[in-house]
Amino acid sequence: MITIENLHKNFGGLKVLRGISLHVDKGQVVCIIGPSGSGKSTVLRCINRLERPTSGRVVVDGHDITDPSTNINLVRTEAGMVFQQFNLFPHMSVLENVTLGPRKVRRLERGQAEKLGLELLAKVGLADKAASYPDQLSGGQKQRVAIARALALQPKVILFDEPTSALDPELVGEVLEVMKRLAREGMTMVVVTHEMGFAKEVADRVIFVDQGVIQEDGPPHEFFSNPRNPRLRDFLGKVVSHT
Amino acid sequence: MAFNFDPGVMLDTLPMLMRGLKWTALITVGGLFFGFILGAGAGLMKLSRGWAARKFAGAYVETIRGTPMLVQAMFLYFGVPMALGLRIPPLVAGIVVIAVNSGAYIAEIVRGAVQSINIGQFEAGRSIGLTRAQTMRYVIWPQAFRRMIPPLGNQFIISLKDTSLLAVIGVGELLRTGQEIVAVNFRAFEVYLTVGLVYLCMTMAIAHALRRVEKRLAARVRR
Repeated sequence: MITIENLHKNFGGLKVLRGISLHVDKGQVVCIIGPSGSGKSTVLRCINRLERPTSGRVVVDGHDITDPSTNINLVRTEAGMVFQQFNLFPHMSVLENVTLGPRKVRRLERGQAEKLGLELLAKVGLADKAASYPDQLSGGQKQRVAIARALALQPKVILFDEPTSALDPELVGEVLEVMKRLAREGMTMVVVTHEMGFAKEVADRVIFVDQGVIQEDGPPHEFFSNPRNPRLRDFLGKVVSHT
Repeated sequence: MAFNFDPGVMLDTLPMLMRGLKWTALITVGGLFFGFILGAGAGLMKLSRGWAARKFAGAYVETIRGTPMLVQAMFLYFGVPMALGLRIPPLVAGIVVIAVNSGAYIAEIVRGAVQSINIGQFEAGRSIGLTRAQTMRYVIWPQAFRRMIPPLGNQFIISLKDTSLLAVIGVGELLRTGQEIVAVNFRAFEVYLTVGLVYLCMTMAIAHALRRVEKRLAARVRR
C-alpha cells in the first residue's frame, strides 16, 4: 500500500529525515513513535506530499508521489489525513465539513454526499451534531468529525498525525475507540502517536524513529517487552515513567 | 465688510449639493466595486507561486501607494489623453482613479487576511484532495473575507473622502459643486461648512452600518 525508499527531507540546513525506508501492507496498522523533533510527523506528511521529499521515493497505492507527473490531488484522496489540531473548517457545519470532499472532489450530488456524510457521522457517534459548528464541539468530538471527513473520500489509508495530543485526557478515549474500530474493520492506518497503550493494543507494527532514521521496527509485544535499541529503551523508560 | 453668519444660506445650498452628492456616491460605489476586483486580483497575485505575478502585483501596489492620488488623477485626466489622443469623460476618470487607487490598498487587505488564516486550514483542504484553487475558494476565502470586512469598511470611508480630490479635474462631485456655488454667492464659510457636514453624515452612516455588520458577523462566528 505504501512503500518508502530512502526518504530524505531537509528544512534548509536541517536534516530532519536521513534515509527512511518503510513498507506498509494493506490492512496494516503501523504506529510511529519517537521523541519530539525526531521527524516522525514529517514522514507522515511526506506520504501525502504536504511536505516535498528532498530525495527518495514514496509510492502510495501504486502512485509514485515524488514523480511530478503524478496527480497529487488524486493520491491525497486515497490517503486521508487527521491532524493534531483537527483543522476543521470553522465556517462550515459539521455535515458540510464532511461532505466538502465528496462534493467537490468526488463530484457527488448534495443529497448523495449528505447521505454518506450522515452515515459516517453515525459511525463516529456524532449523527446528532450534523448541524452544529466546530466551535460548539469538544476536542474529542472535533477529532471524530475530522476522522469522518477523512473517511468521506473512502481512502485506502488514513494518516493520523498525533490525533490525541491536543485533547484533554478524558477525551482521548473516545477518539481512540473510533480508531480501534477502524483498525478492526481492516483500514490501513499509519499513526504517529504518544499513546503507547493504543500502539500496544492495536498496532500490527510499531516503528521507533529518532534522529531522522528508523531505529527499530517490530511487532508491539516484542517492541515494548524486549527493546533492543538503547535509544528506544531510554525513550520507553521516560514515557512509561510519566504515565 | 463685517462677517455675518447666515444659516439660511446653508439651507439654500443643501438642495443644490444633491447633484454633486449623487456623483460622489456613484464614483465611490463604482470605484470601490472595481477597486475590490482589482485588489482581490492583485492581493491573490502577491500570494501566488508565480514570480512574475508576484512582482507585477507588487509593483502596482508600490507605485500607487507611493504617489499622491491627486497626481494620479491629474495624470489620468490631463496626461493620458495627450498620449492617446482621446478625452476621458470625467465620471469614468473618477471611477478609474478611485478603483486603481483603492485597489492597491485593498490588495494589501486581501493579502493580509488570507495570510492570517492558519496554514492548517490550507493543509486540511489539500488533504481531502481539493486543488489549490478549490481550497482557496471553499476553505480560505470565506474565512479570510470575514476578516477583511473591518479594513474594507475603513477603505470605504477613505475612498469616499478621496473623491473630493477629483474636484481639481473638474468632476462634478460634492466639493466641486460647492466650489461652483461659492463662485456665484461668495458664501465660502456657509457652503464649505455644509459640504463638510454632508461628508461627515455619509462617513458616520457608513461607520454605523459597519459596526452592525461586524456585530452580526461576530455573533455568527461565536455560534
